[in-house]
Amino acid sequence: MSAHPVARTLRGFSQALARTLVSEDAAHARGLLQGIDPRVKLVGMMALVVASALSHRVDTLLELLAVGVGLAMMSRVSLWSLARRVWLVAFVFSFMIAAPAMFLTPGVVVWRWGWLAATAPGVHTAALLVLRVEAAVTLSTLLVLTTPWMWLLKALRTLWVPVEVIALLAMTHRYVVLLAETANQMFESRQSRMVGRVKGREQRHMMINTGGVLLSKTMAMGDEVYMAMLARGFRGEVRLLAEFRMKGRDWLMGAALLMLAVAAVVAGR
Amino acid sequence: MHIPDGYLSPSTCATMYAASAGFWWHALRKTRRQMMGRALPRLALMAAFCFVVMLFNLPLPGGTTGHALGVGIAAIVLGPWGGMLAVSLALTIQALFFGDGGITTLGANCFNMAIAGSLAAWGIYHLLSMGSTAMSRRRLVAAALAGYGSINVAALLAAIEFGIQPMLFHDASGAPLYAPYPLHVAIPAMMAGHLTIAGLAEALMTAGLFGYLRRNEPALLGLAKSGLAKDGLATDATPKTPRGLWGGLAVLMLLTPLGILAGGAAWGEWAPRDFADQAARAQIASASGNHAAPAAVPTGLSKLAGVWTAPLPDYAPHFVKSAAFGYFLSAIFGVGIILGVVWLAQVFTGRKGEGTETDTAEKSEERER
Amino acid sequence: MHDLQHNPESVTLRTTEFEASDLHFAYEGVAALRGLSLNVREGERIALLGANGSGKSTLLRMMDGLLFATSGTMKFRGQALTEAALGDDKFALGFHRQVGLVFQNPDVQLFNPTVFDEVAFGPLQMGWGRDEVLERVNKALEWIGASHLRNRAPYRLSGGEKKRVAIASVVVLEPDVLLLDEPTAALDPRSQSQVIELLGSWNDGRKTIITATHQLEVLGEICERAVVLEGGAIVADAAPQTILNDTALLQRANLVHIHRHTHDGVPHRHSSPYLHHEHQ
Repeated sequence: MSAHPVARTLRGFSQALARTLVSEDAAHARGLLQGIDPRVKLVGMMALVVASALSHRVDTLLELLAVGVGLAMMSRVSLWSLARRVWLVAFVFSFMIAAPAMFLTPGVVVWRWGWLAATAPGVHTAALLVLRVEAAVTLSTLLVLTTPWMWLLKALRTLWVPVEVIALLAMTHRYVVLLAETANQMFESRQSRMVGRVKGREQRHMMINTGGVLLSKTMAMGDEVYMAMLARGFRGEVRLLAEFRMKGRDWLMGAALLMLAVAAVVAGR
Repeated sequence: MHIPDGYLSPSTCATMYAASAGFWWHALRKTRRQMMGRALPRLALMAAFCFVVMLFNLPLPGGTTGHALGVGIAAIVLGPWGGMLAVSLALTIQALFFGDGGITTLGANCFNMAIAGSLAAWGIYHLLSMGSTAMSRRRLVAAALAGYGSINVAALLAAIEFGIQPMLFHDASGAPLYAPYPLHVAIPAMMAGHLTIAGLAEALMTAGLFGYLRRNEPALLGLAKSGLAKDGLATDATPKTPRGLWGGLAVLMLLTPLGILAGGAAWGEWAPRDFADQAARAQIASASGNHAAPAAVPTGLSKLAGVWTAPLPDYAPHFVKSAAFGYFLSAIFGVGIILGVVWLAQVFTGRKGEGTETDTAEKSEERER
Repeated sequence: MHDLQHNPESVTLRTTEFEASDLHFAYEGVAALRGLSLNVREGERIALLGANGSGKSTLLRMMDGLLFATSGTMKFRGQALTEAALGDDKFALGFHRQVGLVFQNPDVQLFNPTVFDEVAFGPLQMGWGRDEVLERVNKALEWIGASHLRNRAPYRLSGGEKKRVAIASVVVLEPDVLLLDEPTAALDPRSQSQVIELLGSWNDGRKTIITATHQLEVLGEICERAVVLEGGAIVADAAPQTILNDTALLQRANLVHIHRHTHDGVPHRHSSPYLHHEHQ
């Protein structure tokens, strides 16, 4: 394979990036979460995420995780993709940080491997950390997966997020893929001019130079975008069209999600 | 360094959100004033750029690789307020779409990397490059150190947030409920990776991008005229008076003890003595959780770890051992670093009330491309 | 100086839209416009011809009140387009409602997350009511044949689709004057003719359309008057056929040239002047 590892990684990444950022297949599926008002969903799911952060009990966290799995199934979100995209990554990352706590926390030894001794409170702490990450990530991912990005942004208005921030998030999201692809193209054209094995130093120079070109393009584009906004009447104030209407079902789902969250907070103490 | 959900207690998260909100509010107000929202697309594109830069796996001397955050260059180009907004946006998109960093911990992550990082980078850059010519080597070194410093300030703050968790939040048996490692483990473990690999990656990237812009787009760095940073966005975003900044920091420091009122635990109950002999193991293990950790951590670090607990000996007055005091002390410690750097930058560059005339200078910057 | 003044009777009766006199514009010491003067009347379809860097884009941006001359004046319906005038919210909103600009790079123009939001951006800035916004956006999307794309991200559109959406996002405001910067550049022939047809169908005879281009093959379809720019000044102003027949002028303005260059390392020679296109 002729591609340099750098470019290969970035290419793979920019494709994955585009898939993750732009794909709204799950958001347009007909499922439970997709059917409710984004504002209700945002508040309800966030309440559940906060409840999992507040929880001090393993069993409550398992219940919250089960709620997440149940909601995913009712919303036609593939558990397999959830496992691959969320559970595995979160587990690996959080377990690496949590694992030493099993052996470092003082308490009754429950497991011994040579000089390594896991204690009961240690295992409890590690389990709490891992499960809390899993539950929170599952719930927040469900929210993002089942809501078209623009709706999610507009729903953020209900949480007093300023309208500029929403416009900024929308534009950032819009240009990430474009910039990643531009960077990728620049790498590919540069590497085609490089012959033989490239040393780390040269590779680093190539990347930094690519970054420089990308940055000046980025800033120039920022100014052009500004002119394009002015040309269509932008006067420094962002306006959005909110198209949400609360229905009976939305109130019901909202109450249900909040009740679950409150129950989890009470049970998890 | 992206703290996931569930590692910090909700009270810590709320405190960090509140602290960040103050800065965001001020930064947005400045942005709003800047030429009718002209800064909006620049901020968004810089945020997207930072996001993409995080994908560049930079080969480092010594055979390892690391990625930069882009906070160094963002702060130099957009100024501290623009920089903190841009990096916050990038972190938000990461947390929402990639689960990289949690949602409840987003306030903390933004505070560490975007806010403290930007302020540190901007302060270091201006302090060290003060009085130097546009093409001087010193200015390049200043950019590199700005990147290096920003990452390490961010890592230190994250380590402090991690480190205070076991003191404040544990169950009746003493088992920690959130991040389990105390300060004397969390700080060395975190810093080992950032003082070396992550810091180096950010330093190289910041200096490299700075060098490129200096050669090709000096106007973006405010270096277009007479070799001094006197126009362009970089100075436009310079705080006209440091009052806003001081206010924000004061609010932050006042807010910190509120976090523990909810937690209600006591400093010292969860004494580090049980960990002392195993500290080295913890470092190695927890360091592996942070992307940039080296394969081996010198065991001598366990001795170094004692430094962090030394200032609070057993005979210290009783109030010193209260949770609120410890929390407050940590906050002062973290904020003090940024504060000092920014203050020094203000003192040495001696700028007061400049920047009002830059609005007109900026319009001439528009051009056909 | 080729001063081929084109002045049909029918046009003289109409009101003057733009009046540019002795415009100079420089950025960082580099002059983009040098003493350019031009009158545009209501309902005229004008092509601004010129190579890259001839000042076409700068002129369009001045006509849209986005850039301001270093010296000289640009007037729209008698009102000077100065920085102060465009700083006034009321005037600026009214002006941008009447004069629309489609940028060359559609990625610059499409900064919203979905096609619908893109087209709705202008109407929302104008402060129109919710129902009116929805109605106009739907109408504009239908007109460009992109109703099925309304929830798509601009990232997922083809080049031709992007261009059409960019046009819809400006035309949705129903401006009197449409400024177009290279509307057919970098499009495949089919998308090119779609865009040209679209613009033709929009013009009801009273709309003013000014198109900057360096593509001579589309000239006959997009204008009745062609203005040639070179080095920031006008070197010719005549009917398109007159301009197309003046080979010496076209060569001097760098609009046709038979030249040699490489594509991915392979030497390549353009044989037809009409095949001239942009190179990376």
